[in-house]
Amino acid sequence: MTRLQRDTVAYLLISAFCILMLSWGIPTYTPPYPGYGASPALVPNVSISVILVMSFLVLVRNAVAKFKDKPLPPGESEFPEDAQTTGFTQVGRVKLGHLLGFMVPCALLVIGIEYIGYVPAALLFMLAIQYVIGTRTFVQPVIVSFTAVAVLYVTMRYGFGVPIPGPPLF
Amino acid sequence: MEMIVAGLLDSISPTSLMFVFLGVAIGVLIGAIPGINGPMAIALFIPVTYYMSALTAIGFLIGLNKGAFFGGAVSAVLLRTPGTPEAAATAWDGYPLTQQGKGEKALRMALYSSVAGDFISTGVLIVIAAPLAAVALFMGPAEIFALISLALTVIAGIGTSSICRGLMAASLGLAIGMIGTEPVTALPRLTFDIYQLGAGVKLIPVAIGLLAFSEILIQLERIVLKGVSEHAPNVFSSKKEDRFLSWKEFIGNYKTLLRGTSIGIGVGAMPGLGAPVASFMSYDQAMKRSPHRDEFGKGRLEGIGASESANSAVVAASLIPLFVLGIPGNLAVAMLMGAFMIHGMQPGPLMFQENAQLMYGVYGSLVIASFFLFIIGRFGLRFFCKAVEIPASILYPVIIFTCIMGSYLGQSSMFDVMVMLIFGVIGYFMRKFDFSYVAFLIGFILAPEWERALQQVVIISQLDTYMFFRRPVAIVLMALTLFVIGRTFWTGVKAKV
Repeated sequence: MTRLQRDTVAYLLISAFCILMLSWGIPTYTPPYPGYGASPALVPNVSISVILVMSFLVLVRNAVAKFKDKPLPPGESEFPEDAQTTGFTQVGRVKLGHLLGFMVPCALLVIGIEYIGYVPAALLFMLAIQYVIGTRTFVQPVIVSFTAVAVLYVTMRYGFGVPIPGPPLF
Repeated sequence: MEMIVAGLLDSISPTSLMFVFLGVAIGVLIGAIPGINGPMAIALFIPVTYYMSALTAIGFLIGLNKGAFFGGAVSAVLLRTPGTPEAAATAWDGYPLTQQGKGEKALRMALYSSVAGDFISTGVLIVIAAPLAAVALFMGPAEIFALISLALTVIAGIGTSSICRGLMAASLGLAIGMIGTEPVTALPRLTFDIYQLGAGVKLIPVAIGLLAFSEILIQLERIVLKGVSEHAPNVFSSKKEDRFLSWKEFIGNYKTLLRGTSIGIGVGAMPGLGAPVASFMSYDQAMKRSPHRDEFGKGRLEGIGASESANSAVVAASLIPLFVLGIPGNLAVAMLMGAFMIHGMQPGPLMFQENAQLMYGVYGSLVIASFFLFIIGRFGLRFFCKAVEIPASILYPVIIFTCIMGSYLGQSSMFDVMVMLIFGVIGYFMRKFDFSYVAFLIGFILAPEWERALQQVVIISQLDTYMFFRRPVAIVLMALTLFVIGRTFWTGVKAKV
């Protein structure tokens, strides 16, 4: 998929989201106008409308570029050779597989902390995430996991007095 | 006068001193690690400041920000990988010096230039913020509404190559900021029947997700796919002249340092431009005015001084619009604004009346942080250089885990962790699709104030359609907003299609 195609799909999805919000989300989940001041729906409607208008503008520009064979700015017509790593954005291809690889352990940690407690869930999470990023040794991940889990446990439980779900570490 | 003395005394209390010191030390350490910057550090540490007094918290975060600005130069000089965007110009002359075995000397130049720029800029902030705030008190809701509209438009251009995407991001930030209790009716709005959203989306999980978590996701992706690993070369030459910076070498660049500091103060005081602009502008001016312009980019200390004095001067100067108008000019200040709000204060001109003692305490902490930056940098340089050698396989899993538990820390709520993960993914896509998360975050933070000003204008004017046309300052600001949008679009249309 080229960058133009990818961006077009993204803007179409954004436009659909905006239309959904304007037609259903905002009217359903906004209080009625109380009779004074501005309507509670005004600012949400304006902000979502701005997003919708901008999406349309970009879609029109992309369509003109495609059908009239006008060139897009070089930075927007193709993916950069190598994604920047220190700027505000890192334009590049989305690696859904890798994203899922990182997000699934995080989601499981959230569930795990509630059901089996902080210590076992956090230890398993730390081991899993180190495996995902390519660490294949045994000793380093175990040391890193135990240290990180214990330091944060002590800091939160005894430093700040925050309740930690599950059995105590000490 | 009593307030000034009391505030300054607060800032030199042992607790306050300790946390400012810790803030600077942690900031330098974090800034030295490639890929981690000041706003990200502030986002990660804001939950910790819940448990501190307001002055201690703000002092700690200011120290963190100042430290991170200098820390960014460490990896820029040693690895040619700027820890922060504003340190990119530092790398141009810093890294060649490292290759010549003069890395330590380059870092000392960066440190002294940073401290000089920061110190002068702090002085300017102290002198002009309170008088300007007194003038700003005459602004009513119409002017505030118009000013925030202008700021959002200007800020929409930060961090993206397209104003369209910037405006979309700022608007999304505003929309997310509307979730929660509606101010006039006091009824839930856009909560989608999720009761936790009744109190709104909290800043901490959003900031951690957008700034820290999404950045780490991308860094990890890069490491997994490309196996990138960076190791610092041997930067510590045994020769004394390669390690230390003489007074003559430093003061010989005084014109560049003063010019860089002035540029940093000017750029910092204007919302939307930010430290990278100051840094590049100062470097460019130094090169154009230097008789040794051919040596720039090959390891000239003047280049490092230009970049570092300018970007460090932005730190204190960028607090001017926050203290005077209540508008954050850049991401780090937006995060500081969030911290002020978490501690029950609304940044703006009224702070000098309502929290005068605290404000003078903050001034004291700003000066003390500059002093600590000098001490910590001077004696801890070699230690901080080790930070760039921490393997990513250890560092990033620990940061991810810290992001997750940091989100939990604020309210002891797993819901906040889920919000953080969702905004982490949103941040990942925003970065990949070139949407400005800076504009998003500032829109999100300013949303309640913007809507409040709008509601006040509408209620006071009793739905008068011409309400804005009776306020000359508001008219000028709204006209400027329309001008910025119109000119940007026109330029874009002419250039692109």
